[in-house]
Amino acid sequence: MNIERSSTDILILGSGGAGLFAALHALKANSDLDVTIAVKGLLGKSGCTRMVQGGYNVALASGDSVERHFMDTIVGGKWLPRQDLAWKLVETAVERIHELENEIGCFFDRNPDGSLHQKAFAGQSFDRTVHKGDLTGIEIISRLMEQVWARGFNKLEEHRAISLVPAADGSGLAGVLLIDMRTGGYRFVRAKAVLLATGGGPTMYLYHTPSGDKSCDGMAMALRLGLGLRDMEMVQFHPTGLLAGTDTRMTGTVLEEGLRGAGGYLLNGDGERFMSRYHEHGERATRDVVSRSIQAEMRAGRTTPNGGVHIQMSHLGPEDVAKRFKGMVERCADCGFDLAGGLVEVVPTAHYMMGGLEFELDGSTALPALFAAGEDCGGVHGANRLGGNGVANSTVYGGIAGDAMAAYVAREGLLRDADETVIEAAVGRAEHPFSVTGGDLNELRDRLSRLMWDDVGILRDVAGLKRALSGLDDLAAELEATGVADGDRAFNLTWHDWQNLDSQIQTSRVIAQAALARDDSRGAHFREDFPETGDLEGSTNTRVTADSDGEVTVEMVPVEFSVVKPGESLIAGEAGAPPT
Amino acid sequence: MGDTITETLAVEVWRGRDEGQFETFEVPHRESQTVLDVVTWIQRNAEPALAYRFACRVGMCGSCAMTVNGRPRWTCRTHVSEVLDGGRLRIEPLANLPRIKDLVCDLTPFFEKWQTARGRFEPSATRHDPMVPVSTESPERRAADAGIECINCAVCYAACDVVRWNPDYVGPAALNRAWTLVNDERDGDRNGVLQAVSQAGGCHSCHTHASCLEHCPVGLNPTAGIAGLKRLTALAAFGGGD
Repeated sequence: MNIERSSTDILILGSGGAGLFAALHALKANSDLDVTIAVKGLLGKSGCTRMVQGGYNVALASGDSVERHFMDTIVGGKWLPRQDLAWKLVETAVERIHELENEIGCFFDRNPDGSLHQKAFAGQSFDRTVHKGDLTGIEIISRLMEQVWARGFNKLEEHRAISLVPAADGSGLAGVLLIDMRTGGYRFVRAKAVLLATGGGPTMYLYHTPSGDKSCDGMAMALRLGLGLRDMEMVQFHPTGLLAGTDTRMTGTVLEEGLRGAGGYLLNGDGERFMSRYHEHGERATRDVVSRSIQAEMRAGRTTPNGGVHIQMSHLGPEDVAKRFKGMVERCADCGFDLAGGLVEVVPTAHYMMGGLEFELDGSTALPALFAAGEDCGGVHGANRLGGNGVANSTVYGGIAGDAMAAYVAREGLLRDADETVIEAAVGRAEHPFSVTGGDLNELRDRLSRLMWDDVGILRDVAGLKRALSGLDDLAAELEATGVADGDRAFNLTWHDWQNLDSQIQTSRVIAQAALARDDSRGAHFREDFPETGDLEGSTNTRVTADSDGEVTVEMVPVEFSVVKPGESLIAGEAGAPPT
Repeated sequence: MGDTITETLAVEVWRGRDEGQFETFEVPHRESQTVLDVVTWIQRNAEPALAYRFACRVGMCGSCAMTVNGRPRWTCRTHVSEVLDGGRLRIEPLANLPRIKDLVCDLTPFFEKWQTARGRFEPSATRHDPMVPVSTESPERRAADAGIECINCAVCYAACDVVRWNPDYVGPAALNRAWTLVNDERDGDRNGVLQAVSQAGGCHSCHTHASCLEHCPVGLNPTAGIAGLKRLTALAAFGGGD
């Protein structure tokens, strides 16, 4: 098999907030570095930073503090975040938001006096979310893209990473094997340092919000290298995804949180407002509570025609709704739904993975020369991510990793000789679907997404999780027997669908194993057979590793309360509570 | 399920690169169906090697723009019923850009021209400086805000006649960005922007056909911004480029 080979100083996988910040920081640290950005789609256009609606949490205002932001993050994460990582996040966010405004050129919403506007967001004890209307992500990524295009980066667009390739002598990472999707050919890029910033994205669920290019490739590659993934059972569901029926990519996309906050009603299939039966705050309860309540209505069969519930806004005045939620109303109208005046079907939808690769404060990992940032990583958010901490995480740790990689390359950077057997095996894996015939990829995708939704979703129990693990074994075996027609490999999305499913099935197994191991309920993880939060002092993180045969092991690792212990606080007043 | 298959769509899809032909597919018509869903159905059920591009699915990334029944559009936000012409759809790649395969084109020239128009912020402060208070009421800030929500989808670039005739013309999106920068009081080199857009292929190449305004999926008005740039460059006596 022909493999094109090249070398670079720093190779960055992904071009969301983490990847682009890393690239800019590395080049700023040393303008002589040769930096290459490889991305599965177009630079700055794939991934989810662009899709951020809410905003960017940062303690700026007088009366707020990094201690307060930290406590909200720890309490919101149900005491499972790695506290030094959470601290670094809230501390560095202050510098990063200044960098975004003053150097990158973002312009965020202002108060009448010209200072930055910070809005209230769920789970926080202070109004600290910096935003640009409800299109914050577009402002951040568009401005970052311009800065990246202005500089001399090597760009490998529409390149899919398929294997992190270690050095033959075991001294660290040698480089990354990719498929140039535009030609269908293989490319091996050797690098002195590599950043994994492909984003997570729970796209294996029937209903999901992330960008369609995401398929957990980064986590799957890290797992195959034997690296540890933590807190993988923690998958955040957003309560209101659009439900538009089958065979449409509109289904699962987010209808924003603000609709419920503003007084929107959720109605079940019988037309009944059901939320008050589950929680005193009704529709305004937190994401996890509303998602579980909708799921319970769905299980009881009180559903709308497509199997979800309705959201109603019209009682607030259709004209006002159309003005206040212009973007959402227009999007629904484009898709054929009247959000301002009618009823729109919604369903909870998988949104974000709090878990991921274990990483250190400087973005390094257990493998020399491999760095990681953003949603590929676990530890910052614990059991639950606060809205507004996602883009803060990717931009903070992307920048830190860029600095650290530049320093690493200067200090001990060298081009390592690749373990050619790993390259050979990865090519063999990618070629596999061309060597078999038969099978039905679409049917496998549907079954995977239903299995994950039903048994590893919002409500979990031991029977469902065991059923899921056995079902995932079957799906993995069936994928092996499912072929893709060979021929024109250029931009062959069906070949990539096969590889997406491969990554998704591997990652799904890890989620299910971790969910089975955690016998308590907290944050995004709810076990119907263990509904209690459990003892906070004795909190543990899950840590999953795989051996060379893909056998998965889960360890429960005690949380190190390195800054505060449960019962202690760095602030006066209640963390995570709405400002009074 | 609530969807009903009411009829079949006849969908002509461009196959190939510069050389190629339309291939016709019969696609089930559903109540909730975008043009992107139609293309996806074909790839999943009829032609596994069909090339197309999409990412966010919700009109935020601008990856999925194509020419649909003669008009450039985001396919993820275009309901089939809105564009159907006698039960037929004809789907092609965007115009005015190099083609890669089938429905996919190369956006590199679009982003390079964005840079030619100095479409990037030049800092006048660092991360260690306080943020500048900016009044949202000033005419300049209002002008910048009016154009800032561009998602760089290249629909206006594909719709523009001048881009088609004049390969040097940087196009409406790049000039729209330049206009927002000229109006950004924080930018450290606003004269540099004016200089950049007054070169050959810059704002003076625009013939004010307003196709950009007509086609912009977010409802921006690049034509107005370009008119503003023409005025300012004339005042600054940079002169017309061509």
